[in-house]
Amino acid sequence: MATGPYNYSYIFKYIIIGDMGVGKSCLLHQFTEKKFMADCPHTIGVEFGTRIIEVAGQKIKLQIWDTAGQERFRAVTRSYYRGAAGALMVYDITRRSTYNHLSSWLTDARNLTNPNTVIFLIGNKSDLEAQRDVTYEEAKQFAEENGLMFLECSAKTGENVEDAFLDTAKKIFQNIQDGSLDLNAAESGVQHKPTSPRNALNTDQAQNKEGCGC
Amino acid sequence: MADKEQSTETLTAASQPNNPLSRKLNKLLDTRLDNDKDMLEALKSLSTFFTGNNLRSRRSLRSDIERKSLAINEEFVQSFAEVNKQLESIYKDVHGMSECCQDMTSRLKASKEQTRDLISQTTKLQAESQKLHMKSQVVDAFLAKFQLKPHEVKVLRGTKDGSLHPDFFTALTRVKQIHNDCKVLLRTNHQTAGLEIMESMALHQESAYERLYRWAQNECRMLSGESPDVNNQLCDAMLALKDRPVLFRYTLDEFGTARRTAIVRGFIDALTKGGPGGTPRPIELHSHDPLRYVGDMLAWLHQAIASEREHIQALLKKCPAEEIEKQTVDILGHITEGVCRALKVRVEQVLVSEPGSVELYKLANLLQFYCSTIGEIMKTNSGALLSTLNELHTLGVKMFYNSLHCHASKQMEKVEFPPPDLGATSALNKTLRLLQDILSSHDNSVVPLDTRREHFSQILGCMMDPLIQMCSVSASHLSTVDMATYMVNCIYLIQSTLALYEFTDQRLEMLQAQVEAHIDTLVSEQASFVLNQSGLAYLFGTVQQHQPKQGPLSAIQGMDPATVKTAMTKFDSYLSSPDVYVMPQCALLLSTKLRESVKKRAVGLLCQAYQQMYTAILGPDNKYPNPNALVPRTPDQVVKLLS
Repeated sequence: MATGPYNYSYIFKYIIIGDMGVGKSCLLHQFTEKKFMADCPHTIGVEFGTRIIEVAGQKIKLQIWDTAGQERFRAVTRSYYRGAAGALMVYDITRRSTYNHLSSWLTDARNLTNPNTVIFLIGNKSDLEAQRDVTYEEAKQFAEENGLMFLECSAKTGENVEDAFLDTAKKIFQNIQDGSLDLNAAESGVQHKPTSPRNALNTDQAQNKEGCGC
Repeated sequence: MADKEQSTETLTAASQPNNPLSRKLNKLLDTRLDNDKDMLEALKSLSTFFTGNNLRSRRSLRSDIERKSLAINEEFVQSFAEVNKQLESIYKDVHGMSECCQDMTSRLKASKEQTRDLISQTTKLQAESQKLHMKSQVVDAFLAKFQLKPHEVKVLRGTKDGSLHPDFFTALTRVKQIHNDCKVLLRTNHQTAGLEIMESMALHQESAYERLYRWAQNECRMLSGESPDVNNQLCDAMLALKDRPVLFRYTLDEFGTARRTAIVRGFIDALTKGGPGGTPRPIELHSHDPLRYVGDMLAWLHQAIASEREHIQALLKKCPAEEIEKQTVDILGHITEGVCRALKVRVEQVLVSEPGSVELYKLANLLQFYCSTIGEIMKTNSGALLSTLNELHTLGVKMFYNSLHCHASKQMEKVEFPPPDLGATSALNKTLRLLQDILSSHDNSVVPLDTRREHFSQILGCMMDPLIQMCSVSASHLSTVDMATYMVNCIYLIQSTLALYEFTDQRLEMLQAQVEAHIDTLVSEQASFVLNQSGLAYLFGTVQQHQPKQGPLSAIQGMDPATVKTAMTKFDSYLSSPDVYVMPQCALLLSTKLRESVKKRAVGLLCQAYQQMYTAILGPDNKYPNPNALVPRTPDQVVKLLS
């Protein structure tokens, strides 16, 4: 089988949310292009990027919707939560206000996504340690209290960026394995390409049947 | 033995010549028995039978020897006879053999004669066979190059169930290769073969493509799930079908149709069913909130189109990039065509349900935003979906302006009287609030700057003129001063509303001009009000109209020094407390700045008037006795007092 850019078993839909200027688009750009975009223009409405990753030997295509942080786009961006399997909620560790707004973002995320959506809290700009305004510990505590995954990242240096996206995917994949995420349901945020894995599943079932026969 | 005889003879012979005895003796003496081997041999042999040396034996020696010799000779003859016999038999045999050989030779010769033809024929045949063998090799090679192997033919023909053999594409490539190679044949002198092979390959090719098409069509037809499984074989098929543009197109159409069904179903599901367990909730659940309802639908479409784009690219991944781009636009258009109706019906319903001007405006902007966003992702500006979106946008804009017009005409139908404080009517406030809502909703909008500027001038054009008109109508029953005050107030409110927004400068300028006009009225009214109140009005009027030929002012009725004195005293009391003589309407002006400006300019006019009167009264021609007592204050003092 040729390994082209289109061979993948799943598509996971992500959404990136958070205040204006926290570096959502830069995180996406760093993740998809492995480059830091120095003067990133404000996002108009929504934009999206894709990248194929591998989790547990499965190729997964991430379809990442990057939303505008500006309040005036809120009405538009809200519509993009539905059907997201993962939500990356970003704040800026050097601007306390962006951290203080997290609860409103979280409320939106909880209300507008499905219950299985994996929400990942990202404290961006970890390279600006000198200007830090939000401590790691308090953010960590906030994440724990709300059942979020958490990492501090830097879109500039690329530190932890991969991990944030990958850990989210791993968690989603784990939910699929557990059966807590139903792939057949509409708008689960995960699309399954049943090339090889489903066959594997079928053979499993066949074996089980044989076992029963005995 | 013969030697011995000979020697004996020699012995006898040697003694012959002179004295035979001496000679004989000599000879005997000369004899060296040791050296004469013959002699020794003879003696040895003699000793075998000469056993006893006696006379008898000596006498019979000769005969004995002769007898012996005879016996030996006889024996010899006998032996030779035997040998001779055998020799003869051998000779006979050899002769027979020779004859036989002769016979064979002759026969061979004969057969050789006979086979010469055969041999030459054989040689010829052999050469021919070799040639044929070579030819056969050539033909084999030719066939290998120009004909399909049976299993390839089988692969191309396929199975009854319509599935595709994994080697299908290799076989197809070979058919194509052969077909191509035939062109070389045509250039050589194997044209017939070339043509025939070409024809047969063309037939193979056609039937193979036909089969491939049916297969691919079938596969595509099944790709109507939420996430289609585009397998590699299908990708290969698409690449192969690219050589048959019509079939390629039809297959893509089939794919498009399948995806179209899928996206319509997905859309309806999202609208009515929502996510797993009802979260996210079905979009239609929010149909009471027009903006959210329409926004959710459009966002869903936007995301679905992004996914469909990827599906298409997955299908065509083996085709060249420019082909992918070209086709993607087309098929996306086809795929999205299906949702147009569902979308249109719903959005239209929202738009005509009179959700209010502000909502309509927001909706129109949202639709415009998605026109460009979806246009961007579809990489085109045409197509059913985009024209639907454009239509909806146009409708939205139309409904919005309709609502504005409607609002305006409603205002004109029932014009309110201005309130006693000459402030804004509730209608004005309402309209201004609406305008404010609309203009500030622009901050929420997602349309580019130029468009926004255009919208603004259109919206202002739509709202301002009727609003000013309404104010004028409402003010039409008022006195001049009331009207001016009221209009200034109204326009002032409008101005301060507009001033907060961009792109309103031109309007503001126009409004400012109107304000100025009304302010002018107020200023002159205020000035004449003071003159009237202080009784100087008549005085000033007369002074203004006075001509020298009428004689001195003091002689004119009502201008006598006493009257002038009274008026000036009254004016003096005004000077001591100027605020008492302010028109009540001026106090009603909402803007402090305007209020001050009216006051100031009115004072200016008064000062001018006073100056005129002062000059006139002091004028010797007017013959006032002791004029300085009549007008005790100089104009400069008045200016100082009033400012």
